[in-house]
Amino acid sequence: MMYYQLLGPEITVAVLGLLVLAGSLLLPSHGKNALGYLTTIGLAAVLLAVILNFSREAIFFAGVYQIDMYANFFRLLFLSAALLIMLMSSRYTGLFGERKSEWFSFMLFATLGMMIMVAAGDLIMVYVGLELMTISFYILTAYLLNDRWSAEAGLKYLLIGAMSSAVLLFGMSLIYACSGSTVFTEIYQALLAGSERPALLAGIVMMMAGLGFKISVVPFHMWTPDIYQGAPTPVTAYLAVASKAAGFAVLVRILLIAFPPTSLDWKLILAVLAALTIIIGNLTALPQTNVKRMLAYSSIAQAGYILVGLVAANTYGLKGVLFYAMTYVFANVAAFAVTAVVEVAEGNAELESFNGLGRRAPMPAAVMTICLLSLAGIPPMAGFAGKLYLFSGAIQGGYLWLAFIGLLMSMISVYYYLHVAKAMYIGISSREDRVLLPVPVRIALWICLLGTILMGVYPGPLSELTELAVQLFSAV
Amino acid sequence: MLIQDVMTFSWLIPVLPFLAFALIGLFLHRWPKWSAACSIAAIGVSFFLSVLIAVEIFGGDPGRAFEMSVRWLEMPGLKVDMGILIDPLTAVMLLVVTTVALLVQIYSLGYMEGDPGRASYFAYQSIFAGSMLGLVMASNFGQIFVFWELVGMCSYLLIGFWFGRPSARDAAIKAFVTNRIGDFGFLLGILFLIIVFGTLNFGELAALIPDYHNLAVLLPIAVLLFFGPVGKSAQFPLHVWLPDAMEGPTPVSALIHAATMVAAGVYLIARAFFIFSQVPQAMLLIALVGGFTALLAATIALVQNDIKRILAYSTLSQLGYMVMAMGVGAMTAGMFHLRTHAFFKGLLFLAAGSVIHALHGEQDIWKMGGLAKKMPITTWTFVIGALALAGIPPLAGFWSKDEILLGAFAGGYTGLYLLGSLVAFMTAFYMFRLIFIAFFGVSKGAEQAHESPPVMTGPLVILAALSIGAGFVGSPWMGNVFGLYISTPGAVHHPVNPTIMAVSSLLALAGIGLAWLIYQKQAVSAEKLRQRWPALYHVFLNKYYVDEFYAWLGKVFVDAGARVLEWVDLKIINGAVNGLAYLTGSSGRTLRYAVNGQVQSYAIWVMVGLVLLLATVLKTVFTVLV
Amino acid sequence: MSDHAALGVFLILTLVFPVAAMAAAWLFRVKSAPTREKLLPYECGVDPKGSGWMRFRVNYFLYALVFLVFDIETIFLYPWAVKFQSLGLFAFVEMIVFIAILALGLWYAWKEGALQWY
Repeated sequence: MMYYQLLGPEITVAVLGLLVLAGSLLLPSHGKNALGYLTTIGLAAVLLAVILNFSREAIFFAGVYQIDMYANFFRLLFLSAALLIMLMSSRYTGLFGERKSEWFSFMLFATLGMMIMVAAGDLIMVYVGLELMTISFYILTAYLLNDRWSAEAGLKYLLIGAMSSAVLLFGMSLIYACSGSTVFTEIYQALLAGSERPALLAGIVMMMAGLGFKISVVPFHMWTPDIYQGAPTPVTAYLAVASKAAGFAVLVRILLIAFPPTSLDWKLILAVLAALTIIIGNLTALPQTNVKRMLAYSSIAQAGYILVGLVAANTYGLKGVLFYAMTYVFANVAAFAVTAVVEVAEGNAELESFNGLGRRAPMPAAVMTICLLSLAGIPPMAGFAGKLYLFSGAIQGGYLWLAFIGLLMSMISVYYYLHVAKAMYIGISSREDRVLLPVPVRIALWICLLGTILMGVYPGPLSELTELAVQLFSAV
Repeated sequence: MLIQDVMTFSWLIPVLPFLAFALIGLFLHRWPKWSAACSIAAIGVSFFLSVLIAVEIFGGDPGRAFEMSVRWLEMPGLKVDMGILIDPLTAVMLLVVTTVALLVQIYSLGYMEGDPGRASYFAYQSIFAGSMLGLVMASNFGQIFVFWELVGMCSYLLIGFWFGRPSARDAAIKAFVTNRIGDFGFLLGILFLIIVFGTLNFGELAALIPDYHNLAVLLPIAVLLFFGPVGKSAQFPLHVWLPDAMEGPTPVSALIHAATMVAAGVYLIARAFFIFSQVPQAMLLIALVGGFTALLAATIALVQNDIKRILAYSTLSQLGYMVMAMGVGAMTAGMFHLRTHAFFKGLLFLAAGSVIHALHGEQDIWKMGGLAKKMPITTWTFVIGALALAGIPPLAGFWSKDEILLGAFAGGYTGLYLLGSLVAFMTAFYMFRLIFIAFFGVSKGAEQAHESPPVMTGPLVILAALSIGAGFVGSPWMGNVFGLYISTPGAVHHPVNPTIMAVSSLLALAGIGLAWLIYQKQAVSAEKLRQRWPALYHVFLNKYYVDEFYAWLGKVFVDAGARVLEWVDLKIINGAVNGLAYLTGSSGRTLRYAVNGQVQSYAIWVMVGLVLLLATVLKTVFTVLV
Repeated sequence: MSDHAALGVFLILTLVFPVAAMAAAWLFRVKSAPTREKLLPYECGVDPKGSGWMRFRVNYFLYALVFLVFDIETIFLYPWAVKFQSLGLFAFVEMIVFIAILALGLWYAWKEGALQWY
C-alpha cells in the first residue's frame, strides 16, 4: 500500500504553480497581487500539512522516492524558507513590474524541485529535481529585466550551471556503469560485492563536484559572488538558504546511503575541501564593500561549516548539519530581507547605504545585527548552538584540526559581520527620514528574530527533531 | 487533582513576569499605566499560584518535592537541563518573593507617580521578579547561575535607574563590579562541581556528595561556592556595594536590596547545605564571616545620619546574622530569619520611602522630626517594623532571632552567641535612635509633610501585619511547623531555652531604653559621647575606611598592573594582532582577484579543481600506469 | 560477453554511418569546380543576406522551444498509444494530466506572444 496522500505536498505545490501561471494569464494586471496571497497561503497550508505528517514515512516505486523524516525535515526547511521569502519580497516585487505573477510560480517550481531532490532515492530522480530547481533559478536570477547585472548573473549562472550539470551527469553515469543501478540502496548492495574500481571513484568525485557547485564548495564556488550580487535580493536569499540546503540534503543522503564511509573513504577529501571553503570564504569576505557580495562569501564560508558536520558523519555532526541549515535559514533570510529593504530605499546594497540605518529603521537594524551575530556564532543566538553541534561532532570524529580551523575562522568572520553593524549604528547618513517597512516584511523579520533567538536559547526541540531526521543514518 | 495541575503549571510563576517584561518592552512602553497594570497583574497571578503551591506543599508530608525538567542542551560530555524543583524551601521563597514583590509594585504606583521612566521601571521590576522566581525554582546550579546573573543585572539597572545622577551611575557600577568578583568564584565552584561530579542537579549531587570524602576537593569547592553569597548577600569583604545601592528608588531598595535579591545568597547556602555541611572548615568560615559582618555593619549603623543608609547597614548586619546561622549549622533558623526579615525590612524601607516621598527626597534624619503627628500610619507601621527587627516578643523578628542565638549557643559557638547578643542590643539602639530623631522629637523643616496615599499605606499595613504574625509558624506555640518542613537530614532541633529568650528580649529593651534616654529624654548628650571616643566615632562614620582601602588597593595594584599590561598590550599583543589582521586582510584582498568576473576563468578553475580532485583520488591508478 | 559484442556492433555502426553517407555523396555528386554560388552557406534555398555573424531574433528560439516540447510529447505518446489497452484508465488520466500541463504551457506562450512574428 502506498500512501499517495504523503505525496500531497509535492502535488499541491505543482498544481499551485500551474494555477498561478494560469492566473497570470487570466487576471488583469492590478489583480495579480491576489496570486501572491494565493502562493503564500498555499505554502503555509502545505507547511502545516508537512508538520502534521512529520513522522509518517513511506517508500514509493521500490525506493526511487522516499518520504521519511529526513525528507520531511528538509521539506519543512524549504517551505518555511519559501514562505519567509514570499513575505520579505512583498515590496521588492514592485521592481518586477508586470512580471510579478510568474515570479510566484517560479518560486513554487523551485521549491518543488528541492522537495523532489530531498525525497529522491534514485540518481535520476535527484537529477530531475535538481534541474527543476536550477532552471527555475536561472530565470529568477535574471528577473530584473532592465538591470544589466541581473541579466549578466542569469547568463553566468546558466553557463556554469550547465557545466556543473554535465559533470554531475557524467559522474552519475559512471556510477551506473559500475553498479548497474540508479537506486541508492541497490548501488550500495552492488558495491558491497565488488571491489574498489577507479571509474567508480571518479564517478563519486564528479558527483560530489557537481553537487559542490550547488553548495558552492571551493573550488566550485567562483560563480557565487557574481550571481548573488546580481540576482534580485529575495532570489539571492532563496538561493543561499534553500538551494544550498537541498544540495547538502542530497549529498548527505547519497554519500551515506549509497557510499557509506565504511566502504569508501571520501571523508578526507571532504575535510580538505571544507577547510579550504571555510578559509577562502571568510578571507575573501573581509575586503568586500557590497553587503550582498559580502553575504555571498559568508554563505560560502557557512557551507564550509556545514560540510564539517558531514565530514564527521556521526550523529552529532549530522544533527549539526540539519540544525545549522535550519538556523541558517532564519539568520540569512533576515539579513537579506534587511538588505532588500535598504536596496529598495537607496537603490543599491553598498555598505555606505547602510549608514545610519540604526536611526532610520531601528527594528530592521537590530534584527540584522542579531542575525549577523548568529551567523558569526555568538551565543546565545542559534548559530552558536549549531556550530557547537558541528564542531563537537568533528572533534568526536577525530577532526580536531578541522574544528580548530572552523573556530579560528569564525572569529575572523565577526569582523566583517560587525562591519555592517558599525555602518548601521556609527555610520553617518545624509538622510534621516524613516525607512518604510511594509507589514509582511516586518512579520518576516519578527519570525526570523524569534527563530534565531529561540533556537539559540532553547535548542532542545529542534535538536530532537534533527535527531529523528538523522535516525535514518544511524546504521552508518 | 487540581493541586497536581498546579504543580505542572508552576513554570508559569517565573514565566509570567518575563512575559510582562516582554509585553511592556515591545508594546506597552508608551502607556505607563498599562505597563504598571501588566506588571502587577503578572506578579499577582504568580502570587496566587505560589499560594496554591504553598498550600499543597505544607498540606502534605515534610519530605515532599516536585521536580520536572527538560533537556536544554546535549553535547558529547555535557548534558544541561532546565528544570523546576519545588520543595518546602522553594515554596517558602516563592511566597516571600511574590508577596513582597506584589506589595512593592503596588506601592510603586504611588511612589513613582509622575516619573517619566515609569514604564521601564515596571518592566525592570517584572524582569527582576521573573529572574528571582526562576532562581528559587531552579533545579540545578547551572540554571541558578543564569538567574543569579539576571537578578544582578536587574539590580544594576534599578540602582542606576535615575542615571542622570552621577552618584547613581557610580553606585550601579560599583554594585555590578563588586558582584562580579563574587560571581567569578561562584562560577569556578560550579565548574569544579561539574568536573568532579559530572552533574549540576541538586538531587543528584545531594545523593553523590555524602559518599565523597575527599576534603581536599570539597573544601575549595565549598569556599568557591561561598564566594557567590559573599557578593550577592554583601558579606565582608564584598559588602561595600550594598549601602551605595540605596541610590536606587526606595521601593527597589525594599524589594531587591533588603527583602529578596540580597537574601539569594543565604538561600543558596541553604540550597547547597548538603555540600557545605560536609566541610566543617567551610562552615566555620561561613559562621565567622557572617558574624563579623553582623557586628561590623551594626557598629556603622550606630552613627549614620541618612535614613536609608541606616536601614542598609541594618540589612547588612541581619544578612550577616543569617549567614552566621547557616555557618553554625542552624539552617532552619537562617531561613526562618530570612523570611521574617523580608517582611519587616521590606516594611521599614517602604515606610522610609513614604517619609522620603512626603519630604520630597529628604533623607537626613536630623532634618525630619515630629513626623508621628503628620504621618501616623507610616510612623506606627515603621515602629512595628523596628520592634520586629529589634526582636521584641511576640513580633516576628523575636522568634527568628531567638532561633539563631539558640542555634549558636547550643552548637557550642559561645563567642558567636555573645556577638549575636551584642548585635541584637545595637540593632535595637540604632533603630530607635532613628525613630526618636525622625518621627518624634521636634519638627525641623518638615511642616509640609503629609500622609502618603492609600496605595502606599496599604502595603505598609499588610507588611506590618506580616511582621507581627509571620513569626508564629516558627514559635513553640505552633509546634515549630517551620522547622518541620525546612530542615536538613539529621538536624537536631534544640529545645527552647527560656533564658536565651529572656536575655535577648532584655537586651533589646535595653537598647531601646538607651536610645530613649539619649535622643528623646536627652538625659545623656550624644555630643559628649562623640567627644569622648572621637577615634571610634570616625571609624564607624567612615565605615572602617574599607572603601578608602579598596581605592588605595586599586591605585597601587590595579593601576600598576594596568601599566604593565598596557605595555604588553601595546607592544606585544597589538603588534601580533595588527600583524595578523594585516596578513588576513591582505590575503583576502589577494584572493578576491581570483574572482574576476570572467565566466570562462571560473570554468577553468572548476576544471582544474576537478582534475586535481580526480588525480588525488585516482593516484593509485596513475602510479600503476606510470 | 554478448552485451559487449552488441556494444561493439553499435560502435562500429556509428563510425561507419557518417563515413558511408559522406562517401555516397562524394560518389554521386556532379563533379565540377566549386563556384561562388556553391560555397555560400545553405539557407533553405534562399540567398543568404549579410554576414553569418548577425544576431538572430529571439523568436527563432521560442519557436524552437515550443516545437521541441511537442516533439517530445509525440515521442512519449507513441509507446503509450501502442500499449494503451493494457495500461488502462490510470495511464489515460496520467497522459491527460501531462497533455494538460503542456497545453497550459502552449497557452501561456501564445498569450505572451511567442507565436507572433515581429
